[in-house]
Amino acid sequence: MNVTKVWAAQLDDYAIDLAWSPEGRVLAVASAAGPVTLFDRANGRKRHELPGHANGTNAIAWMPQVERVVPHPPPALDDAAGPRAEGNRFLCLATGGQDGCVRWWDADAGSQVAETQLAAGAWIEPLAWRPVTANLKSQIPNPNLLAAAVGRKLLLLHPDGSVAQTFADAPKTLSALAWHPQGSCVAVAWFGGVCLWDADDFRVQRQYSYGSAIPALTWSPDGRWLVAGAQDNAVHLWLPEEDQEFHMSGYETKVRELSFSHDSRWLATGGARDACVWDCSGAGPEGREPLALPHTGRVCAVAYQRAHGCLATAAADHEVALWDPPRPQPLVASVKLTAPASKLAWSPDDTQLAIGSQQGGVLVLQVGT
Amino acid sequence: MSADTRIPVTVLTGFLGAGKTTLLNRILTEQHGRKLAVIENEFGEVGVDNQLVIQTDEEIFAMNNGCLCCTVRGDLLRILGRLLKRKDRLDGVLIETTGLADPGPVAQTFFNDPEIREAYRLEGIVTVVDAKHIVQHLDDGREAKEQVAFADVILLNKTDLVSAADLDRLEARLHRMNTMARIHRTRDCDLPIDRVLDIGGFNLSRATDLDPRFLDPEYPFEWAGVYELAAGAYELCLGHHDHEEGHGDGHEHDHGHEDGDGDHDHHHHGDTDELDVALLPVKSLDATDLAAARDVAVQVFSDWEKQVRPGEPVAPGTTLQRLRLTGGHGHFPVPIAQAGRYMLFTAHDVPTHLYAAGEILVRYVHDQTYRHEHSHDEEVASVGITMAGELDAKRLNDWIGGLLAKKGQDIFRCKGVLAVRGAEKKLVFQGVHMMFDAKFDQPWGGAPRTNVFVFIGRNLNREELLGGFKSCMVN
Repeated sequence: MNVTKVWAAQLDDYAIDLAWSPEGRVLAVASAAGPVTLFDRANGRKRHELPGHANGTNAIAWMPQVERVVPHPPPALDDAAGPRAEGNRFLCLATGGQDGCVRWWDADAGSQVAETQLAAGAWIEPLAWRPVTANLKSQIPNPNLLAAAVGRKLLLLHPDGSVAQTFADAPKTLSALAWHPQGSCVAVAWFGGVCLWDADDFRVQRQYSYGSAIPALTWSPDGRWLVAGAQDNAVHLWLPEEDQEFHMSGYETKVRELSFSHDSRWLATGGARDACVWDCSGAGPEGREPLALPHTGRVCAVAYQRAHGCLATAAADHEVALWDPPRPQPLVASVKLTAPASKLAWSPDDTQLAIGSQQGGVLVLQVGT
Repeated sequence: MSADTRIPVTVLTGFLGAGKTTLLNRILTEQHGRKLAVIENEFGEVGVDNQLVIQTDEEIFAMNNGCLCCTVRGDLLRILGRLLKRKDRLDGVLIETTGLADPGPVAQTFFNDPEIREAYRLEGIVTVVDAKHIVQHLDDGREAKEQVAFADVILLNKTDLVSAADLDRLEARLHRMNTMARIHRTRDCDLPIDRVLDIGGFNLSRATDLDPRFLDPEYPFEWAGVYELAAGAYELCLGHHDHEEGHGDGHEHDHGHEDGDGDHDHHHHGDTDELDVALLPVKSLDATDLAAARDVAVQVFSDWEKQVRPGEPVAPGTTLQRLRLTGGHGHFPVPIAQAGRYMLFTAHDVPTHLYAAGEILVRYVHDQTYRHEHSHDEEVASVGITMAGELDAKRLNDWIGGLLAKKGQDIFRCKGVLAVRGAEKKLVFQGVHMMFDAKFDQPWGGAPRTNVFVFIGRNLNREELLGGFKSCMVN
């Protein structure tokens, strides 16, 4: 497999989040200090630097489906709204930070178009848009809905900045959030439990308890598995439709890194110096030996390609590795950075891997056979 | 030894109005130029330009082991994790907690999570106490007591509002609760800032800073008298006796200031047919010399005792002698080879008479009681133990393990330096509730292998702890 550098850039601070726009032409990278930079995919040219959030930005998320949006800019932004203010279709990026706001940006114009004030000074994270399936698109003209967590509260927001639904407070601060791949419900986690909220009638679909904090949550692409990475050095899985649960413990530390392969078979996990990849087919992973992909430092990020079988992992030893896990010699390629990676993201077509680093570095690699 | 480059964290606690905000602002001003983050619970007027101030709501995460004391602060875990997501690391973190916050989970937060443990170093817990109102707080509930118990440093603040006598009493009370903490008297939290930063309160290697002399304010003896003796044979008579002469000059319940009151109660701890004594040489009647002898006596009283039957001699020296009495009294020869001053320490305050040859009463030239004051009223107290000798590693491990499992909730902090048989190096340890950390540190070298440790907690039984500890010693 060929791995070549396409471009690199440097931010002012830790790259806290990084995401490709839905059609893949823009890479947004958020600095922990606040600013969000939009880069051209082809050459890394800076298209825009958005101010982001005072006191720091936590999360960014691209609206998955371009739609007609009538934004309601806050008074202070009236002048800056410009020619796109009135119900145009534009590439929308939502961001959350430490100023208690979700901010909505027009990524083409490079300007803020709306703001949702949730709680003064509160930290907003995580953010996730509802996946827009073909089915959903055919049912609803404006299917885009952003889930945002602030403290113990989950909210669903429309892209014009208005609140669609505020849910009852969870018992403790929300720590993770994951939409069902079909967009039918959103799962949230807090210390002690997980709740599945229905996206249409906003009622509780299911609720699970768990005796520890849950820093990470993910669904398998087929919607079968809901997986929690836990503070007590374990991974816990539920099969919501089948009322079953499974548990894998014995990790070196808390598990914050989770990623499923596109066919829902393989689950890659962090929480140790080896990235462990579990076979979730058939009866599930419990009791099976996972594939162990070794690093010399603790794993800090894992990301499977969206439609192919390559797994990228990053570790505290500054290494980023590419694997074909089921192969007897699974390592395909590896790269050494100048700092540990903070975030990995495959481009929508799986040909490029974007890597953000703890020292604010941005690196885009072309990965091809 | 490589330097610890982790980010130092200091916790400030104390009731609203005690002066935490004043202290916090002083630290921020003096540490101007260093990038500090302040995490606060109460909305105070904190902040100097360019300092990062984060508001938080206390959120307790209980560990999944069924133990009530194994808790951490979930909100601090989250914030401290987020503070690591920076290109340039912070120079320090200050955490200000409310008067109602439990310091235990705050401390445990720094030991539970590997990422936090690797990145942050808990320096110490500083408790600011309002000298005028603390008594009320202590009596009102358990929070104030816990904040005193967990402290590495206590600022006895607002001293201008309280009389000197009250301050003395207050300081003594706080010291009895927590003998490990350094207590500073301040008016407006005015003290050199280095007394509250870089404390090393949780640094294992600094456990050797424990000064045995300050550990145990409860002396293991109730009375001491100093005698000036020529060389010769004396007799020690304890308890009621039937000598007629010299009645009024003996140690007979009056101590010079309670004549005829007769309301001294004997503290009949344990067996009245046993009395621990020590007879130590003392240089002079100067306060420092008396204190030095007293400190030696503290160590002696923690040591193995020598059984002394009636008629057997009581000799001067650093041996604890357990005298067998009959019906509460006994006679023992005291051979004095060297003329000088001798200080006799007795565990209990019983009638004590020393006679020279010819049944001539020898009067003491100085005496003192070490009566326990209010020690049983205080729920929170310190038990400090100093003892020479070596410990068996396995027995020690079993004892501590069992102790923390059973009483972990009642033991707030512990710290110590131990001599383990077969180990060249000192075993240093420190703990918060059940979270116990130990390592072998510097070698003993030529220094005497003395065990020193202190437990601070609630409803601690000194005899039980001492007994358990002694059972770990190598004979």
